[in-house]
Amino acid sequence: MDKELYWLIIPAYNESAYLAKVLKKVKKKWPHFVVVDDGSRDETLKIAKRYTPHALTHAVNLGKGAAMKTGSEYAFRKLGAKGVIFFDADDQHDAELIAQFAEELKKHPVVLGVRSFDNQMPLMRIMMNRLGSVLIMILFGGYVPDIPCGFKALSKSAYKKINWKSTDYMVEMEIAARVAQYDLEYSEIAIPTVYHDLDRGMTILDTIHIIPQCIAWRFQS
Amino acid sequence: MSVFQIIATLFALFMMYTVKLFSAKKALGAVETSFWISIWAFFIFLTLFPDVLRGISQSLHFARVFDLLLVAALMLLSVIVFVNYLRHKMLERKIEELVRKISIDLKDIRK
Repeated sequence: MDKELYWLIIPAYNESAYLAKVLKKVKKKWPHFVVVDDGSRDETLKIAKRYTPHALTHAVNLGKGAAMKTGSEYAFRKLGAKGVIFFDADDQHDAELIAQFAEELKKHPVVLGVRSFDNQMPLMRIMMNRLGSVLIMILFGGYVPDIPCGFKALSKSAYKKINWKSTDYMVEMEIAARVAQYDLEYSEIAIPTVYHDLDRGMTILDTIHIIPQCIAWRFQS
Repeated sequence: MSVFQIIATLFALFMMYTVKLFSAKKALGAVETSFWISIWAFFIFLTLFPDVLRGISQSLHFARVFDLLLVAALMLLSVIVFVNYLRHKMLERKIEELVRKISIDLKDIRK
């Protein structure tokens, strides 16, 4: 497999606690990765530079969506990537599965990591997760599982088609909305559920913002 | 002169002082300063002589001049809020594009 055609994008914001551990594991399994430091105030960039020559930094914090976009643009425009695989920097995902994502990406424009709703995932998260998928199905007519999961992959054509505008955590929801809206073919890969840090990610305020935003996306293409 | 007129006049004078202050800091140009000073001077004039609007308020079927002023103020505020919202969105987008561009270009320079 042409590994260098599929680049791993790791958006990171104040991730010095987990980043070194994550990058060590990733480097063994998939040496082609880009770290986007999203204006961190800690040692995130310094750590990233120790593991990859492809460490980018935002001068100010823009949000996960913007960091994912910067990484993707860099991979497609500067590294000649054919596809990108997104991987969270907080040690939630198993690096062993990266090759499987790349393999699936050859056959499908979108590959989604799907966690099992076991007792590892808090009940509130399970409910919000399901509600998100139902909302997308009602508004866009397609079911997309485990929307908040950050382990997913997009081909260059899917990336161009989705062309998300969200700069924050809403990006996961926008990607799901566009996948359903444009009826993009996707493949699912079962991934383990790991939660280290429950106060990270989306907040209640973000969730309140989701419904009107989804309705707005419904009428924008 | 009623208490309300005194308060409104003092408020307008304070706003004129604020405009002058920002003008001195070069945050407002000469035209902008003149515009805002004129607006607040007009506001003081209307506060002191509300009867000049009586004809307009009657022709628009407002019961009181105060109602006319309230509706006009709400309309003005709505326009300002909407324009600010659009500018804020555009600015946010420009900052995002700039930060992302610098991030990628800086990488090229470091190479």
